[in-house]
Amino acid sequence: MIEGSLLRRWTFYYIPLIVFVLVLLFPFYWMVITSFRPDGELYRPWNAPNYNPFWTSFPTIEHFTYLFEETDFGQWMMNTMFIATTATLISLFCGVLAGYALARLNFPWAGSLGTVIFITYLVPQTLLFIPLAEIIRDFKLGDTPWSLILTYPTFLIPFCTWLMMGYFKAIPKELEECARIDGASRWKAMVYIIIPCAVPGILSAGIIAFTLSWNEFIYALVFLSSPEQKTVPVGVTSELIRGDVFFWGSLMAGALLGSVPVAIVYSFFVEHYVSGLTGSVKG
Amino acid sequence: MADTKRRSVIKLAGSAAAVASTGMAGILASGRTPAYAQQKTVHWLRWVDFVPASDALLKKELIPQAEKELGMKITLETVNGNDLQPRTTAAIQSGTGPDIIMAFNNYTYIYQNSVVDVSDVALEIDKNEGGIYKYCKSFCSDGKMYMSVPWVVPGGMVAYRKSWFAEEGANKFPDTWDEYRALGKKLKAKGRPIGQTLGHTFGDAPGFTYPLMWSFGGKEVEADGKTVAINSKETLESVKFMTAFWKEAHDEGGLAWDDTNNNRAFLSGTISSTLNGASIYIETLRKPDQYKTEKGTPMKDDILHSPLPKGPAGQFGFHLMQSDMLMKYSKNQDAAKQFLRWIHAEKNYEKWFVSQKGYGTPCTAKWESHPIWNADPVLAPFKVAARLGQAPGYAGLPNGKAAEALSKYIVTDMYAKAVQGMAPEDSVKWAESELKKIYSA
Amino acid sequence: MTVTAVPGVAEARRPVPRLRALEDERWLAMVLLAPTAILLGLFIAYPFAEGVYLALSSAVVGDPGHFVGLKNFYKIWNDSIFRTAVWNTFWYTGVTTVFKLALGLWLAMLLNRHFKGKALVRAFILLPFIIPTVLSTFAWKWMFDPTFSVINWTLFHLGFITQRINWLGDPDLAMTSIIVVNIWRGVPFFAISLLAGLQTISPELNEAAAIDGARPWNRFWYITWPLLLPVTMVVMLFSVIQTFADFQLVYVMTGGGPANATHLFATYAYQIGIGTGLLSQGAAISLAMFPFLFLIVVVQLLYIRRVETR
Repeated sequence: MIEGSLLRRWTFYYIPLIVFVLVLLFPFYWMVITSFRPDGELYRPWNAPNYNPFWTSFPTIEHFTYLFEETDFGQWMMNTMFIATTATLISLFCGVLAGYALARLNFPWAGSLGTVIFITYLVPQTLLFIPLAEIIRDFKLGDTPWSLILTYPTFLIPFCTWLMMGYFKAIPKELEECARIDGASRWKAMVYIIIPCAVPGILSAGIIAFTLSWNEFIYALVFLSSPEQKTVPVGVTSELIRGDVFFWGSLMAGALLGSVPVAIVYSFFVEHYVSGLTGSVKG
Repeated sequence: MADTKRRSVIKLAGSAAAVASTGMAGILASGRTPAYAQQKTVHWLRWVDFVPASDALLKKELIPQAEKELGMKITLETVNGNDLQPRTTAAIQSGTGPDIIMAFNNYTYIYQNSVVDVSDVALEIDKNEGGIYKYCKSFCSDGKMYMSVPWVVPGGMVAYRKSWFAEEGANKFPDTWDEYRALGKKLKAKGRPIGQTLGHTFGDAPGFTYPLMWSFGGKEVEADGKTVAINSKETLESVKFMTAFWKEAHDEGGLAWDDTNNNRAFLSGTISSTLNGASIYIETLRKPDQYKTEKGTPMKDDILHSPLPKGPAGQFGFHLMQSDMLMKYSKNQDAAKQFLRWIHAEKNYEKWFVSQKGYGTPCTAKWESHPIWNADPVLAPFKVAARLGQAPGYAGLPNGKAAEALSKYIVTDMYAKAVQGMAPEDSVKWAESELKKIYSA
Repeated sequence: MTVTAVPGVAEARRPVPRLRALEDERWLAMVLLAPTAILLGLFIAYPFAEGVYLALSSAVVGDPGHFVGLKNFYKIWNDSIFRTAVWNTFWYTGVTTVFKLALGLWLAMLLNRHFKGKALVRAFILLPFIIPTVLSTFAWKWMFDPTFSVINWTLFHLGFITQRINWLGDPDLAMTSIIVVNIWRGVPFFAISLLAGLQTISPELNEAAAIDGARPWNRFWYITWPLLLPVTMVVMLFSVIQTFADFQLVYVMTGGGPANATHLFATYAYQIGIGTGLLSQGAAISLAMFPFLFLIVVVQLLYIRRVETR
């Protein structure tokens, strides 16, 4: 508790907290409000009189209908869901196995392999996107969701591995040894005993991987071209910034809807997300 | 994988005529429908038209009509103009993408190695329509072959508020830059500045900066196409002028504007004049009740157009050139050419041209006599845009090097830097060194 | 990398011999690590090598070009825009990291108390970090719009300004704007991670110190901060890498403008490589990131190791 008077509590504690929350959340409020305001209200200059930008008296869903009727937004949502989910599953698969190997198995180069995987995490997508475009072309994956499904794991796997290593390390060795004494093979022990213990970790890694996939932009921008293949971030950027017709309403509507799946997944698993994030940092 | 299977089926089905049994066996074995039921497809990538009515016409009328008449599936995709270049590069790099891609200006030279020779289509148009303007030809053809089929020239003129200019005593658009500057000063003092973008946008920024430079006598290279000539007294004069002109008369937010900001600013009454295509005016025609002046009258009645003012060396205009490239990686080249011929057929092109309402000037002389130019006097100045334009790379050719300089916004940045505080001499020197890097490579 | 044809070998020796092979830790490790190794090898190691080759060639779009050695690097070093981008990236990374750390720490300490609705608040404040960067950056871009900015509206009506603030049109303000948005996005990440770190510090330490008469600032500096250092360093490492290689935020907000004032490595590489089609130069710009990144990472890793072994 903060010692001191009510005034002290308010100035040092409540007010800063409120300011933080307001600043962090205001853009989302702005997104929501803009999505529902009609064009006439939206485009009034900042110093026009009699103008309250923070609320609308004439909410409209015209921007949302525009989004779905005139663009492939629905398709983009499906694409992004598909890509994110598949990439997450692949990354989890690889990450769990690799994490187990690095955390619980004894073999030469274990340490350096861990370091190598970590190093690959440090190679940013913006470094690789130009040569990767060539490689994607050589594999004939250009303009297909697979170009992303196979490349997203490059930044998801290191993270998942690292996270899972932390969780696996925390499981006592005795569990495995008991199982093996009872006759289970190492493989069986891993699959039936250890991995189930790490389910919270797997859940955390999966959720974070899912949000990271949804957040990826440059690969999607460069590898995909047809409108029906695009992901939500790329689609919103390229097809709602248009000519001279005002589209901010739909843009915000698109941004809002595009954020919803991630927000929903996150809201169901907040605890897992947070523990995953902090686990990776502490681990 | 699906592609190779389909191709082998087509091959097999193709030889069905010669060896029926193998063909049929092949088709049956692959379990796919025979080749002749396969539709030809053409994917056309264009910018999002600043005249929405034209895009609507294409999507709802012309394309379905073409599909029916030509028996092929045609996909029209539109993207933001600034994204066309990255899209094109990405498509070429990944070896797959739209069959026909729209190119701006002389970007055709940048993609020279990746396009198909379309001289056959272009020369037909040249013959049937009384000749393609030299201006357009210089962008689309390198002298040996046509890299793209000219489409249209969206002209750039200054759109201005008639009443506001009249209030300051100008009953017609100023003739010279100095007059324009004096007028702009008065307007800005009343909160009605001139609006101009100096950002990295393909249309309005080069459309202003290149003619500005030329009208003062500046140029990028000499006629030999090699010697960089931008660091001259004339260019320096133009930069000095622009720096003062900007502060005195312009909305200084213009540094961050793209091609749409000036439209919105004009339509919401925060600027009094701007270089633009006809889209501002056309928008006011589209929604006369939404766009009103501060007095409550329809804004469409308060807009006039004029070419950029004269400078000491003359009066110039640089108008956006749009043409269509047929990409080498395309697997539907014949169908694409067929479609290009179809869309350029007079009766089809005319429909599109009319929907533009004068925003776009076609590339051949024949269309100058079209009645639409007489329908609305406000749009009359746009008629001769394609005829009078001058191409970047002057006084050399608008070739790949000029295209590179254009796509790097060197000339525009020269002005932008000066306006932001760099000494004019330094910004001109900077432009010179950048151009030298390109022209000496 | 250690992957060989192990999976194939393991497959060939079904079924009991296979299991026996998997008993051997080394074989099992190889099998388990195989998928990871393949994916990372194919889509990171191989492109990295390709990128190096590309940067040493004269490739442009549609033309693979030929080997030219270090010419591209020489070219970009002489490119004033590239030098601006280098400076911008360091400045951007430095300033945002300092602020994210400071504000994140402050927020973490505020959250480290019990109050009603704490769980809710904690969940909500992570939103800026969760929501796809591109989408939230659009909201900010709209908030900074030259003509319709709500921030300008508020400041105007509160009497703070009479002239419009040109958030995205003035080069310095544009840089400030992207820094602000980056900080906005990153503070929650720092806050939550540091909060977790704070929660592992037993409150008795602070209480004991308070009883001994230590003042709040000293308590923080001598007790809390050192114990928090390991977590802080790791968080900073992640954040620095992400920020240094940032693309999305700048691309959406300013596209690198106005007049190239806000370019970073990544956005400039994109403009040159994909926009103008000069692939080899674009690759060179991207690759130029690597030595700096490597250095920063190595320094931080060494520091972390030192802190952990203290």
